[in-house]
Amino acid sequence: MTSARWPLLAIPAALLLAVIYVWPSLDLFRTAFNETGATGAMIEAFSLKVWRDLLADPFTYELTVNSLWLSVTATSIALCVAYPIALFLFRTDTRFRGLLAVMAIMPMLVSGVVRIFGWLTILGDQGMVNSAARWLGLISTPMRLLFNWTGVTIGLAESILPYMILALLAGFGRLDRALEEAARSLGASPLRTFVRVTLPLSLPAIVLAAGLGFVLSMSAYITPKLLGGGRVFVLATEIFEQATTNANWPMASAMALYTLVLMLAFLGLSSVLSRRLAQ
Amino acid sequence: MAYLELTGLEKRYRDAVAVADVTLAVEKGESVALLGPSGCGKTTTLRMLAGLAAPDRGRIAVDGTDITDLPAHRRNMGYVFQSYALFPHMSVARNVTFGLEERGVAAKERAARAADALEMVRLKELGHRRPRELSGGQQQRVALARALVIRPSVLLLDESLSNLDAKLRQTMRREIRDLQRTLAITTLFVTHDQVEALAMCDRIAVMNHGRIEQVGTPADVYERPATRFVAGFVGSVNVLPATRDGQGGLAVWGMPIPGIASFAQGDADVFVRPQRMRLVAASENVAPDVPRLKGKVAQSIFIGDQVETVVSGEGGQVTVQSLSGAPTPQAGTEVQVVWKVEDTLIFSREAS
Repeated sequence: MTSARWPLLAIPAALLLAVIYVWPSLDLFRTAFNETGATGAMIEAFSLKVWRDLLADPFTYELTVNSLWLSVTATSIALCVAYPIALFLFRTDTRFRGLLAVMAIMPMLVSGVVRIFGWLTILGDQGMVNSAARWLGLISTPMRLLFNWTGVTIGLAESILPYMILALLAGFGRLDRALEEAARSLGASPLRTFVRVTLPLSLPAIVLAAGLGFVLSMSAYITPKLLGGGRVFVLATEIFEQATTNANWPMASAMALYTLVLMLAFLGLSSVLSRRLAQ
Repeated sequence: MAYLELTGLEKRYRDAVAVADVTLAVEKGESVALLGPSGCGKTTTLRMLAGLAAPDRGRIAVDGTDITDLPAHRRNMGYVFQSYALFPHMSVARNVTFGLEERGVAAKERAARAADALEMVRLKELGHRRPRELSGGQQQRVALARALVIRPSVLLLDESLSNLDAKLRQTMRREIRDLQRTLAITTLFVTHDQVEALAMCDRIAVMNHGRIEQVGTPADVYERPATRFVAGFVGSVNVLPATRDGQGGLAVWGMPIPGIASFAQGDADVFVRPQRMRLVAASENVAPDVPRLKGKVAQSIFIGDQVETVVSGEGGQVTVQSLSGAPTPQAGTEVQVVWKVEDTLIFSREAS
């Protein structure tokens, strides 16, 4: 009997996942069908009451639209920045390639809270952007770049950037330099070569990275909370509100499951699309 | 002036010199092979021609026009890549029309020309397929059709047959050569396979260390190699270290080599091709003006059409190749190895 047939090495990881992930998920699932009493205490039940409340509340749909819109814009911005970087890293033959790759994904290694404080000093009324714009005479009163959707979108785009670069690099498999050279030799300008060869062949990578960026944005909590300054409401912040401030665990659970379903739907769509495009 | 002229081409990558100094003139309709070991700069030369690499020095001219600084897409070169580089996301037909679309050729003419090109390579029925649904040989033909359909000024082939199996390679060699002749298209192809070079070209340029060592017809290069590198790289050869015989002549294995009256100072090696050597019995009387060696048969290797007999003597071993079918001497037999004076090649040892 070979070790490959008895994957003993995977058992510790499987146990850990069962304890810290599978069991809480099941518990979450169970909690979503409990009820909340008049005093706010959780009543063990098996009812769809919270679900009816959740789906009847127009605020749920506002949050959904907010979350989707934020995720789509942040992902789009991050994609526009990540694509050229990933393409460069994929192709470059400089000896600093390793170093450059580490620099590109370095933000992943920094705590999210620290990164947000960085943005506060950059985007604040007295921050770098506003000071520079004022010095150049472009504006007289500071632009509001913080504690609103603009700040959250910028911060979120930056926080998912490293993941998207990695996803793009992983997906660039079919991008062969010889194909671009073939296009050039057949009379296609660099721009035409990009449009007809590079871009179509990197579509699977783009879809894959966009799916990942989208899911990360949907589940982001710290960035909307801190850079939104209490004015930005998305599903993730509301789940936290319900679970802590309101102590309404059944509602928080139902909302979390609702968000999970949304994310899985998008993730499934992107992976199906990516596989379809890769053929 | 020749149709295609490369003058003093040089290319460096960081500290490494890829191409040192390449000058070559190719006539219109001619097929020239760049032959050399890997790393000799032959592919870099081809890439500079196509505009895929920029030369550090030198000039490329086609039909009298300097194209050295022209970007790849304005050069009108038909390039067939070693990996074929067919666009995987397009059908075979679309691959072939790609170059015509980029040139703004009208749809109707495009379709007609692509159909002609595919018919030329005998793939007319497969236009709707994707490249990955084709065999290696078929992919090779599509790549050829795609490069030819744009009516390139020069066809460039980069090790284009190296990914095919031996049988198919032979067929494709003949097919490409026939096409090249019919279309009278100026062709430059890179190969490390001397048989391919000899079979597919009018002239061979043998490259080594970023330089062309010799340019000539296949017979020229084979019969009259200019350097010891060419002698060793094109065809097989016995290298026999020679010694001075005291009267200004050379001796191998203690036997004077007749017919080489004058030879400059310094050490030299005698090169003789195995096919040009013959075995005769030890007892046979050989005229004094015939070069010869004496030794014992070490082993005979049967390789189909040919038999290779290894003879060892006091100075080493030689291989003699003869047609199979004739009786071969047993190992241990005393023999003489003879050849013609004109088949003796001599290269000084310092010039290696």
